Amino acid sequence: MAEVPAAVSGGWAPVAAVLLGALAVAAALLDGALAGRAAGVRSGMGRPVGEVARLLRQRRRTTVAADRLLWRIGGAGLLGMALMIITVVPLGRWTLFDLDVGVVWVNALDVLAWAFVWLTGWGANSAYALVGGYRFLAHGLAYELPLMFALVAPAVAASSLRVGEVAAAQQGLWFVVWMPVAFVVYCLGVVAIAVWGPFSPALGRDVAGGVTAELSGVDRLLFLAGRYALLAAGAAFAVPMFLGGGAGPLLPAWAWVLVKATVLLAGLVWLRRRAPALRPDVFMEVGWLVLLPAVLLQDLLVAVVVIGG
Amino acid sequence: MGVSGALARLALRHAHLLVIEVPGYWLTRVAVERLAGVRGWRLAVSPADADILVVCGSPGPELALVVASLWEQLPGPRARIDVTTPDLVAAGLDQAAAMLRDTPGQRRDSTARDGRGFDDAAGGDIALAHGSADRDGLEMDVLHVRLGPVLPEWPAGLVLRAHLHGDLIAEAQAGVIDAGHGPAGGAHVAGGDPSDEVRPAVAGEVAARRCDNAARLLALAGWPDAAGGARAIRDRLLTGERSAATAELARLRRRVRRSWLLRWSLRRVGPLPPDELARLGLAPDLTGDVWDRLNGMLGRAAVAVGGPAGVVDGGPAGVVDGGPAGVAVGGPVDVVVGGPVTSPAAVASVVSGWDVATARLIVASLDITALDVVTDG
Repeated sequence: MAEVPAAVSGGWAPVAAVLLGALAVAAALLDGALAGRAAGVRSGMGRPVGEVARLLRQRRRTTVAADRLLWRIGGAGLLGMALMIITVVPLGRWTLFDLDVGVVWVNALDVLAWAFVWLTGWGANSAYALVGGYRFLAHGLAYELPLMFALVAPAVAASSLRVGEVAAAQQGLWFVVWMPVAFVVYCLGVVAIAVWGPFSPALGRDVAGGVTAELSGVDRLLFLAGRYALLAAGAAFAVPMFLGGGAGPLLPAWAWVLVKATVLLAGLVWLRRRAPALRPDVFMEVGWLVLLPAVLLQDLLVAVVVIGG
Repeated sequence: MGVSGALARLALRHAHLLVIEVPGYWLTRVAVERLAGVRGWRLAVSPADADILVVCGSPGPELALVVASLWEQLPGPRARIDVTTPDLVAAGLDQAAAMLRDTPGQRRDSTARDGRGFDDAAGGDIALAHGSADRDGLEMDVLHVRLGPVLPEWPAGLVLRAHLHGDLIAEAQAGVIDAGHGPAGGAHVAGGDPSDEVRPAVAGEVAARRCDNAARLLALAGWPDAAGGARAIRDRLLTGERSAATAELARLRRRVRRSWLLRWSLRRVGPLPPDELARLGLAPDLTGDVWDRLNGMLGRAAVAVGGPAGVVDGGPAGVVDGGPAGVAVGGPVDVVVGGPVTSPAAVASVVSGWDVATARLIVASLDITALDVVTDG
């Protein structure tokens, strides 16, 4: 078994935050470029930069009888959640927080998305935002359990809830190879938490932007940045869980982690342009009748292999 | 000035527009969308998301009130322009850009608005929702929500007063804003007045209208790329690039038909049997579900520009399965040219019992050209 990462001083936390920020910015640039190409506009790549400038220049606003505290907590929460997720993701030999229940930590954090997205929809005291919030909860009911069981598979295979040990248990054979169902379900979960692509009806045009209907200026910026950051954090966490951690030839382990995270992130960003939205009511069927049984079978298979091996 | 000037320049390149279409001015709205797209600007989904408010046409008294209240909701920096014909759009957008660039002016506007918050406006007193039994007999809060007249991808002028249980429309009444106020009313047909309909441009315009409606439906289905494709075809049809548009339309139809995810999402939504359509006074080519109607819409666009109506990719996949669709594809063109007038009451009737998302899909699938001004009681 390979070397298990060691915790570094908390002083490195800003570096981790910067790395997460860089990944999120890369995702936004790629998304802008893809959107620009689809629309046939030159300025695609500059779109995220322009949007940031626009939102920084824009005034914040509020609505009648808004629940302002909860509204702002929800809006800023997604970004905080992403930052807390990456504290347990090892970067090669280093990790910020070598928690013996790291997998559970991430799982507990991803459930927070329910609260944050819902509160953003609730706080504005606006019918469209509230409907958006409902939609996210409906998606949540369908994706959350499969996501939890998807995270169980690598933990069972590694016989550990410590993220570093899960990564180290994949020397030779990445978990994605023999637990593809868990990996796909995990990726769906990440896309859903980031309210991204097929899981964006909560922000739908049909309800005037849904959860984001009343957000402007820096509040909207925080919410949107939180979505990109969550997508990036989700991709980064997939690396130790399914993609062999820092394993790879030539490059040092930390570089491999970044490369793998970037590639997966690019895939998730690209996905958005390829598929229509999944309506929450019909996705409920898929979540419970297809994804949940499939991922439970995957867990069973993994458990049998682990006991038999 | 350095930082804020640079910020303003950058921000201006990515402005968001909230476009309000007065019934009858769809060509102006389309011109706004096209020219804004060329500048790299995007369409806003709500006033909070918008920098520029564009009013296409001359609003009647009721719509004017709505516009004024939306204008107050733009966060700022903000600009408002009113355009009434497609050829005035470019100048209007330039004017909006100049207003947004004028940082001192925006600062004055912002200062003038301070202290006039929303809390003051409403007096802080809002009635609580009352309860009622929902479709499963459970006690639910009932929320009265007015959908329209300004919503993304929404038929111009339509107002739907919905009683919501959660996000389920328990009951709805529909009307057209400013019904009975001259040309801004509702029954204004796309091709201008009926004598204009023999113009050669009309076929292209009819096809463009179908593409515009299909783009709205695709956008509501959460597929912005395909919606953008349909809008590009619409713009080509209106600028006279007929052959390029026809080829792209065929590609789009194939792409839509082959998307199993889209099909799975739209199948069985809002089924309308022929007798129901007859009862509501809707066109018979709307038979089937939303998926059938989307393909029918694109099919009618193809027919209007002289392309094949039905099978586009040769294989059996080209034939829309499920019987009634065959009726939808290749409907008679002459019916469409006149632009059937849809009654708001029919719209209200087909959305009752569905949730907001599905109801929006159903409304978009009705391929509305114009709304009847007779208000539903």
